[in-house]
Amino acid sequence: MAYEPLLLRNIAKPGSETIDISLASGGYQGLRRVLKELTPEKFLEEVKAAGLRGRGGAGFPTGMKWSFLPKTRDKPRYLCVNADESEPGTFKDRLLIERDPHLVLEGIILSCFAIESRRAFFYIRGEFHKGARIFARAVEEAYARGFLGKNILGSGYDLEVTIYRGAGAYICGEETALLESLEGKRGLPRIKPPFPAIVGLYGCPTIINNVETLANVTLIAERGAAWYAGIGRPPKNTGPKLYCVSGHVKRPGVYEAALGIPLMELINERAGGMLHADRPLKAVIPGGSSMRILPAAKCDVLMDFDSLVAAGSMLGSAGVVVMDQSTCMVGALLNLAGFYAHESCGQCTPCREGTGWFVKILTRLERGEGRAEDVDLLIDVASRVEGNTICPFGEAIAWPIDSYVKTFRAEFEAHVTRRGCPKGAAAFEVNAMSGTGH
Amino acid sequence: MAETTPPATPAAQPALPPAGPDEVALTIDGRPLVVKKGTTVLQAAETIGLLVPHYCYHPGLSIAGNCRMCLVEIDKMPKLQIGCATQAAQGMVVRTANERVTRMRRGIMEFLLINHPLDCPICDQAGECRLQQYEAAYGAGFSRFNEEKVHAPKRESIGPHVMFDGERCIKCTRCIRFTDEVSQSHELGLFQRGDHAIIGTFPGKPLDNPYSGNTVDICPVGALTLKEFRFKARVWFLKDVPSVCGGCARGCNVNLATYRNRIHRMTPRFNPEVNDYWMCDPGRLSYQALEERPRLAGPVVRRAAGAGPADAWSGALDAAAALLRGVKERSGDQALAALVSARLTVEDLFMARRVLAETIGVSRLAVPPHQDGEDDRLLIRRDKTPNGRGAALVGVGAPHAGRVREIVDDVATGRVRALVVIGEDPLGEGLLTSAALAKLEALVVIDWWRSPTAEAADVALPACGYGEAEGVFVNFEGRAQRARAAVRPTGLADPTWRILAALGSRFGLPGDYPSASGVFDEVAATAPAFAGLSYRALGELGVRVQET
Repeated sequence: MAYEPLLLRNIAKPGSETIDISLASGGYQGLRRVLKELTPEKFLEEVKAAGLRGRGGAGFPTGMKWSFLPKTRDKPRYLCVNADESEPGTFKDRLLIERDPHLVLEGIILSCFAIESRRAFFYIRGEFHKGARIFARAVEEAYARGFLGKNILGSGYDLEVTIYRGAGAYICGEETALLESLEGKRGLPRIKPPFPAIVGLYGCPTIINNVETLANVTLIAERGAAWYAGIGRPPKNTGPKLYCVSGHVKRPGVYEAALGIPLMELINERAGGMLHADRPLKAVIPGGSSMRILPAAKCDVLMDFDSLVAAGSMLGSAGVVVMDQSTCMVGALLNLAGFYAHESCGQCTPCREGTGWFVKILTRLERGEGRAEDVDLLIDVASRVEGNTICPFGEAIAWPIDSYVKTFRAEFEAHVTRRGCPKGAAAFEVNAMSGTGH
Repeated sequence: MAETTPPATPAAQPALPPAGPDEVALTIDGRPLVVKKGTTVLQAAETIGLLVPHYCYHPGLSIAGNCRMCLVEIDKMPKLQIGCATQAAQGMVVRTANERVTRMRRGIMEFLLINHPLDCPICDQAGECRLQQYEAAYGAGFSRFNEEKVHAPKRESIGPHVMFDGERCIKCTRCIRFTDEVSQSHELGLFQRGDHAIIGTFPGKPLDNPYSGNTVDICPVGALTLKEFRFKARVWFLKDVPSVCGGCARGCNVNLATYRNRIHRMTPRFNPEVNDYWMCDPGRLSYQALEERPRLAGPVVRRAAGAGPADAWSGALDAAAALLRGVKERSGDQALAALVSARLTVEDLFMARRVLAETIGVSRLAVPPHQDGEDDRLLIRRDKTPNGRGAALVGVGAPHAGRVREIVDDVATGRVRALVVIGEDPLGEGLLTSAALAKLEALVVIDWWRSPTAEAADVALPACGYGEAEGVFVNFEGRAQRARAAVRPTGLADPTWRILAALGSRFGLPGDYPSASGVFDEVAATAPAFAGLSYRALGELGVRVQET
């Protein structure tokens, strides 16, 4: 049976970003139902019962996150929407924002209702010019139709939504760096605890949710927790998921499937298979560039939170990067390391110094100036970054380093013994990746 | 179980001591302790003498948690936790030095040093550098880094007093937090990212505030250096003498760093009742006057009434005594007046009253006020004298412009025939003219430098300058604090109280004054505000005097 898209149900329709198209396909019906029939607590329970887990990367249960808010009401509560989608290989939120902003906006209103927030901030990646424009239009439309503002749909519930555009830093997708940036400061992750649910934006209790997560909240409101919980692999991996497939496949793009689609089905059937028939699969990054790489032998795996953890990686942002046999893993890792060295915020020692060091070692390896000890050095330095940083950025670089080197150790060693890249280093510009682009 | 079982198996934690309602009991490295709720692990360890090494943590600043050096292992927490931000909790089991923590620290040290220039031989911080200290204590002793280091500006002037070296900087952000939170002048920020991150000033806004020198003190490495101290002395030759700043009525606690009988720098010394960890730049540089101004190296006699001198000091004292006695006999006590400085110590001022007023019979003593600017919200006081309160409490009288004016007017009209000036420069400051002074039959000046007034004196007696003599200052809040002698007096200079005692002995002053502490004991015995006090009782941090 073909999968009936839920999150992407509207995107192919002309004018899918307008409120009329949204309303014509049942948009804001879930909101009507919830505001009319449910209390915030009841709806929060429904999201919990649906089993929705965050789609931003960590897969934390959304309802549980909401319930961490303090019971007191002495301060305002905020919802911050993390639309700072910047993980290499990830481009699903952008599609939702540009093609079906009302699906997201309805989720924002519903989530704010559940957590009893009267103010939401939509923090959108600086480079998403088009998305910001479209979303601003959607917010205007929602105000005009009474879905935002005072006394929404006669329920007595008020909500204001503010759009805030980032200035172009990967780190601002880290939720506490996002809060700092939103407050007008340099985007540096905060030390935790306190967690944002207790001390967040402007010192007030704050929930930060990913765009896709909020779109899923809309679905739960539309059709109920029981329906939602039946999608995917219950009980812990429920609902639809957007997978971003890129790399050496015939049809790269965003594909919607129930959580738990087999990785090989995603590559071979949805994305059209490998790009070149004569170049078999070498490895896949299953969840965005920060996640551990899976060699082809480990790619018979289901694409859900728990299956990928069992396979030694994580679903992350579901940015699936497919690499065929032509890929030099040293070069690929250098490419990634260059990104992380450029994007490290520079705040804490292991990440600030370690990311640059990785680039320098990998650059030498790729240029044929590697030393035998470099291979173990990479693994060792990564182990001193991992777990010792303020934010998960440390893991985001340590995991790729550790997994690429350990999984493809022979290839790294060959760069030393053969004094250079066996593939000629053509695929990657070594100089451009040497971390000096600041 | 066999008797040979090594003790390395995790021993049962010792029983926790009972904790009160606002306390928690925990163990750190197997040692049980009780601390107040809200105490961090780092601070708790400190209470039992355990150092959790750290760079970015500073007790006077907010928590940044960026250096990662204070990561410790806490039971039931999968990751290492920063001791500076993690609060001690009931039953917590902390390990600050096991294999895992030790390995992590070696890693942090390596990270901090890979892009560090290691230019210790030319770095002023060498000897008091946390990178050196911690590398010796926790580092691997070698580096696996074979690459070109990241380069950054060196010796960049970022303000009138502070020089910045971007390569030595470890981005702990103490200096940024100081300018944001303490001076609230907001000159500094972190710019760029990754290993190119660099501390800097905002365009057109140099690090120019009256507290900028504190950033140098709290910089744990050689990134920020004080222009006035750069290349002056290797710090391991310096000896810190605890003292009190004489720059204003705040009385910031300081250390005077000396080497070869010179003061090379002044740094703040922690006193939560007075200045916390800070001091102002004018105070910090106030020691420089000692070498910048021309010193009065020996007694000078320009007009003598009696026989020639036996030696320089006794001859000059005899000459001064003879001049004063002559005026007293010819014109009476009303013709004798004195201007006494509130920059003098309690001991000096007490002896001024005892000798001048009570022994010689000088009818009027006045203390000139020195006010400049306004009190600021941090430390700086408008009153630029360190001991105005002390002058009042020993009976000389608080600084009072009116009383000074009367004396000055009477000098001009000739009613005052003999004037004693101690530590003041009425001629240089325009209070008195040369013509007025010329009318005097006797001008006796006690001062540490050749002020215009001293140059005009009939007898000029050389006193110790700041840092050359000890004594007590009472700050504007009534706190008595000890200033110490850090260097030997210049030339023949002597403490003012001793000069006064020697002058008094020529007028029959009874008693013996062998030491400043002895003078202070007499102050304590006679001035009610100081009752029960002594140098020992004042200690390192001073004592609030009795308010009356």
